[in-house]
Amino acid sequence: MDPECSKLLPALCAVLADPRQLVADDTCLEKLLDWFKTVMETESSLHLLQDHPCLMELLSHVLKTQDVSPRVLSFVLRLVGIFAAQEDCFQYLQGELLLGLFGETGALSWTAWNMPSVRSGWIQGLCSLAHHPSALHFLADSGAVDTIFALQGDPSLFVASAASQLLVHILALAMQGGASGSPISEAAAWPICAQKIVNHVEESLHSKATPQVTQALNVLTTTFGRCHSPWTGVLWGRLSPPVACLFERDPIPAVHSLMDLLLSVARSHVLNFAACGLWEMLAQTLSRLSPTQAGPLALGTLKLQHCPQELRTQAFGVLLQPLACILKATTQAPGPPGLLDGTAGSSLTVDALLSSKSACVGLLCQTLAHLEELQMLPQCPCPWPQVPLLGATVTILRLCDGSVDPSSSMGGRLCGTLGGCVRVQRAALDFLGTLSQGTSPLELVLEVFAVLLKTLESPESSPTVLKKAFQATLRWLQNSHKTPNCSDLSPDALLFLGELFPILQKRLCSPCWEVRDSALEFLTHLIRHWGGQADFREALHSSEVPTLARQLLQDPESYVRASAVGTAGQLSSRGLQATSASPENPLAQQGLLMDLMHILSTDSEGFPRRAVLRVFTEWLRDGHADVIRDTEWFVATVLQAVSRDLDWEVRMQGLELAQVFLIQAMGQPSLHCPYTVGLPEATSPRPHPEFLQTLCRLPLFEFAFCALLDCDRPVAQKACDLLLFLRDKTTHCSGPQEAGDSPNSASVEAVLQRWREGEQGQPLGDLEPEAMLAILRSLDLEGLQGKLAKSSDHVEKSPQSLLQDMLATVGILEENEADCY
Amino acid sequence: MPEIRVTPLGAGQDVGRSCILVSISGKNVMLDCGMHMGYNDDRRFPDFSYITQSGRLTDFLDCVIISHFHLDHCGALPYFSEMVGYDGPIYMTHPTQAICPILLEDYRKIAVDKKGEANFFTSQMIKDCMKKVVAVHLHQTVQVDDELEIKAYYAGHVLGAAMFQIKVGSESVVYTGDYNMTPDRHLGAAWIDKCRPNLLITESTYATTIRDSKRCRERDFLKKVHETVERGGKVLIPVFALGRAQELCILLETFWERMNLKVPIYFSTGLTEKANHYYKLFITWTNQKIRKTFVQRNMFEFKHIKAFDRTFADNPGPMVVFATPGMLHAGQSLQIFRKWAGNEKNMVIMPGYCVQGTVGHKILSGQRKLEMEGRQVLEVKMQVEYMSFSAHADAKGIMQLVGQAEPESVLLVHGEAKKMEFLRQKIEQEFRVSCYMPANGETVTLPTSPSIPVGISLGLLKREMVQGLLPEAKKPRLLHGTLVMKDSSFRLVSSEQALKELGLAEHQLRFTCRVHLQDTRKEQETALRVYSHLKSTLKDHCVQHLPDGSVTVESILIQAAAHSEDPGTKVLLVSWTYQDEELGSFLTALLKNGLPQAPS
Repeated sequence: MDPECSKLLPALCAVLADPRQLVADDTCLEKLLDWFKTVMETESSLHLLQDHPCLMELLSHVLKTQDVSPRVLSFVLRLVGIFAAQEDCFQYLQGELLLGLFGETGALSWTAWNMPSVRSGWIQGLCSLAHHPSALHFLADSGAVDTIFALQGDPSLFVASAASQLLVHILALAMQGGASGSPISEAAAWPICAQKIVNHVEESLHSKATPQVTQALNVLTTTFGRCHSPWTGVLWGRLSPPVACLFERDPIPAVHSLMDLLLSVARSHVLNFAACGLWEMLAQTLSRLSPTQAGPLALGTLKLQHCPQELRTQAFGVLLQPLACILKATTQAPGPPGLLDGTAGSSLTVDALLSSKSACVGLLCQTLAHLEELQMLPQCPCPWPQVPLLGATVTILRLCDGSVDPSSSMGGRLCGTLGGCVRVQRAALDFLGTLSQGTSPLELVLEVFAVLLKTLESPESSPTVLKKAFQATLRWLQNSHKTPNCSDLSPDALLFLGELFPILQKRLCSPCWEVRDSALEFLTHLIRHWGGQADFREALHSSEVPTLARQLLQDPESYVRASAVGTAGQLSSRGLQATSASPENPLAQQGLLMDLMHILSTDSEGFPRRAVLRVFTEWLRDGHADVIRDTEWFVATVLQAVSRDLDWEVRMQGLELAQVFLIQAMGQPSLHCPYTVGLPEATSPRPHPEFLQTLCRLPLFEFAFCALLDCDRPVAQKACDLLLFLRDKTTHCSGPQEAGDSPNSASVEAVLQRWREGEQGQPLGDLEPEAMLAILRSLDLEGLQGKLAKSSDHVEKSPQSLLQDMLATVGILEENEADCY
Repeated sequence: MPEIRVTPLGAGQDVGRSCILVSISGKNVMLDCGMHMGYNDDRRFPDFSYITQSGRLTDFLDCVIISHFHLDHCGALPYFSEMVGYDGPIYMTHPTQAICPILLEDYRKIAVDKKGEANFFTSQMIKDCMKKVVAVHLHQTVQVDDELEIKAYYAGHVLGAAMFQIKVGSESVVYTGDYNMTPDRHLGAAWIDKCRPNLLITESTYATTIRDSKRCRERDFLKKVHETVERGGKVLIPVFALGRAQELCILLETFWERMNLKVPIYFSTGLTEKANHYYKLFITWTNQKIRKTFVQRNMFEFKHIKAFDRTFADNPGPMVVFATPGMLHAGQSLQIFRKWAGNEKNMVIMPGYCVQGTVGHKILSGQRKLEMEGRQVLEVKMQVEYMSFSAHADAKGIMQLVGQAEPESVLLVHGEAKKMEFLRQKIEQEFRVSCYMPANGETVTLPTSPSIPVGISLGLLKREMVQGLLPEAKKPRLLHGTLVMKDSSFRLVSSEQALKELGLAEHQLRFTCRVHLQDTRKEQETALRVYSHLKSTLKDHCVQHLPDGSVTVESILIQAAAHSEDPGTKVLLVSWTYQDEELGSFLTALLKNGLPQAPS
């Protein structure tokens, strides 16, 4: 502990022990504990206590009087736990103090025990303390374990959950000590503490009360999740019979916890599953649960590394059942192959789908999400029934948009239930997007495109549905390449685009900003992928889409303006500008450049300005025609606008652009910009003195120099990196004579003086390259870089600052405290 | 048993980050999704892992409702929807939807700037999150699904703040969010109709406070600003992007106009235009005065308040600057503070709460020597003032709202335990309703009585009419009949009709009770005494003494017997049919009181 904190600690302890003093901010005690934990990582807690008697005084005071606030009581319990985590300190505190705080006559008997924060502090204190054999004896002797059992049923979720976690922690600690010799194959020979916990869990498993069963199952789930020693096999051997008995009850109690336990056990590396009957138990559970309950278990089973094929098939069947029902209910016989053909249809699934709207919607959403997750996993079942799954998903979307002609009464009822159901539509579109990864027959792909078009076109589609439809469409377009050149669009995709663009036009004019924005984002992706392809360009040009996208630069919603900037930038990069059919028309391009410059200097919101800088930086990197026409003018104009910007992210992006310019101008291909390699400018560096003149004239150097003092740390950091780069390059290139006295050293010194005094925003005036180099050499950029690398609040976040703040708030009006936001 | 369950994950006996889970008739709703600005790790967000132990959040939660744009109510939303994975609907009012992303973006920029945090939500995430929002109008009933509906009421507090009624069938909960029962310069007072919810969840920030006059606070504020600029000093007012800042701007603008002051007022970060835009757009959400004067002059188009340029801070002479962020913990406001702190002529006015660790917190707690970066010490000579302008209902206002809504029970959130306890007792005493104040993580379960429509047979009604008792609208009446539950419908019919309809035979059921009497006389004599006592007490009933010694009162039969063990005690066996349940109970009670002494 540093001496300054040591000095402050007695006063703080006195404040904490004084019930009349309020601890002003409830986060302070949390942070104080964080600090003690950090200190304890490197120091002996025993020494700390001995060196700071004020701490013992605080603990003893609380023990004797308990007149402090519940939050201080809770703090003290947790603090003692942290101290006692070290065995020598535990011995030091063991006498009256530990028993007085954690024993039956301790916190449990206090009035403040009613407060969940105190009970929580008691548990957390014990959890910190339980790290050595002495702690185990203490826990066994003090009766604490029985209290923890009781706290498992605490009305506070936080306390109850922490109690269960603590039991697992104690069990693991006990077994860790016990397992040091030969593996204990008999649970009867386990340490007393462990036996007590296992007996309690076993007893709870036999209980008729579901909450108790749930608590026991949760303890076991956590145990198998955390502990991977051989003793867990013995534990399961003992407790699997009562767990199996739970399945014989009707209804099965605590289904979710039971499923979690089975999966947790199945993920364990130490058990011999075949011998312990786990697979049978899983199979039995899958067949007994309702489809909605069984879904998560089926997914969990399929995710297991080692699992018998038969069980995998059964689990996959559970996930496929609802979609199989959908197909069966809507397919005209004889139709294409369905899902799970030949197996008996699950009446339970049909019942769930037809029982109520919420049951149907819940089951379908869950199933679609599970299948989506499964398809992206390495454990994805093979063969994957791509075709029927795609068919079912398209059918669900059609049931939602009302375009299915039901072939059965069940189909009719499903139509009524799912018509216009946004939740199911969203889930189905998500899955549909994922299904694009598989190979599908052409007619089905066409069906997918048709249903996507219908969704995108429908006036009923909500903004969230449209967004997902756009995302799914993009994935299908990306994955539907059938031509030899994989990046090209297939003919069907092109036909689809022909129909899509008119719809996109409408969506760009939507009254909802969410829709306009999603449409623009989608369009930007399209152009990025296929902007170079002739057919795509033609399809795009024959629509009004580019013009509309350009018009959205004036959208009232800033998010949309920002997206429109991105789209316009992409269009222009690909020579697909809006106003002219001829891509070579320079006026139209120039118009966009000026429009974007206008946005950069006048838009009241940060998003569009940041978007403009992203576009400009990309243009500069890629050697956009407008930029290379007069790069200096371009960079100078951008930097001028950016230097006045109040949004620090804009200023930072301005520095990014300046860096790209520097790298290009110096002919240094950078890792950050691989495209510069091919550019003529990049390969032919300018003469050095002339280049330095340019930096002064732009004035790029001044911009970066002023940014070193920016009030926002990331900007200063970026500027520092940029100037270091510049200094390294110029030192390398400049001759020894340039490092000598500069002709205007007085002006350099004046600049540096102003800088040291922290004056910002004062123009440097006309600076000669030599002066610039002199300034660069005089700045301790490495030192500054080191300082800036720390977060800007490292001083305020220091323990000293915390202690000072806590002390300073003593006596401050209580009114300030409650006045939150 | 149908029930309503409420579990605060945040705002349970604290004012940190509001996040309350409500389960009503099987529907699960999250009320607010706030963050705690006092932490800079995961503790700043509510622990969402407690929402559901199994299954996906989107499947479990039916919707999220955000009451207003303050970060302690919406700050965790992008984290919840884009990083934790909730993909369902989010409801808020139109102004909240418009302003929320500005504050989230403002905070993101501060967090990333200050801490250099990488694991924080991005601008794109804020946008994607806002796209999931469904905006609602005041008093518009919105169907979340076939069963769940919500309705927003005006809450004052800040532009767009709303209270929400959540209803499933006949059960309902009202969540107030933060509200203000007194109008301020630009907003009106909260209002709700007599919706009689099963539960009212109300904030209780000022549970024990009766706020001092707002006018006094305003006068103080203006006086301080005026005095400082008069003596040539500069005034810094650190604020968050939107909200309280607008209230203060109106205040200063009006004062400057009235006093014809020329000292410049600046607002940093270009937020004035944005604020203008939104206040114009949502003029219907402001108070009557602003709406009235809007035609001649928009209160939010400030004549005296100009956009700030970073170089202005070095200008000589007096000025007033509103700068972000509000706690002086980074960026523009901190930079200006550093420049001006050394001059005792200057002043900083903190109009809101500051968390520990910020420069704002330090100077408010009286620290005058601040260690800055690089071990530099900044001596604060400028004056430091705290001016609370938060717009919460005080104790009186909370009671007023409870009175307005007439809930069956009340649950307090967003306040401190001690103060809540005081208010809880007050509410229970005054309104005779249960009042709860769960801590974070504690679940309150309220059984509810759903109203189920029951049809009544005409025959039964006619029989009642024949008895001469005409129905009265406001007077509850007891009516006996048999409830037939068949084909999901409920009907009350006469027992004869029920037997006929259901094809059942009638069974006679008698209730029995034993009453012990201290009486040494013989059984017959005891029975006679009982007869005499009842005859004199029950003058309107037919009391008979039968030849076998037993006594009857209507269908009630009383027999006296000797006690098997105690000859000094007699046992009265009382039995009656269910039709005479009331009389039977009355008689039993009467006999238990003993018999009057026989005249000697």
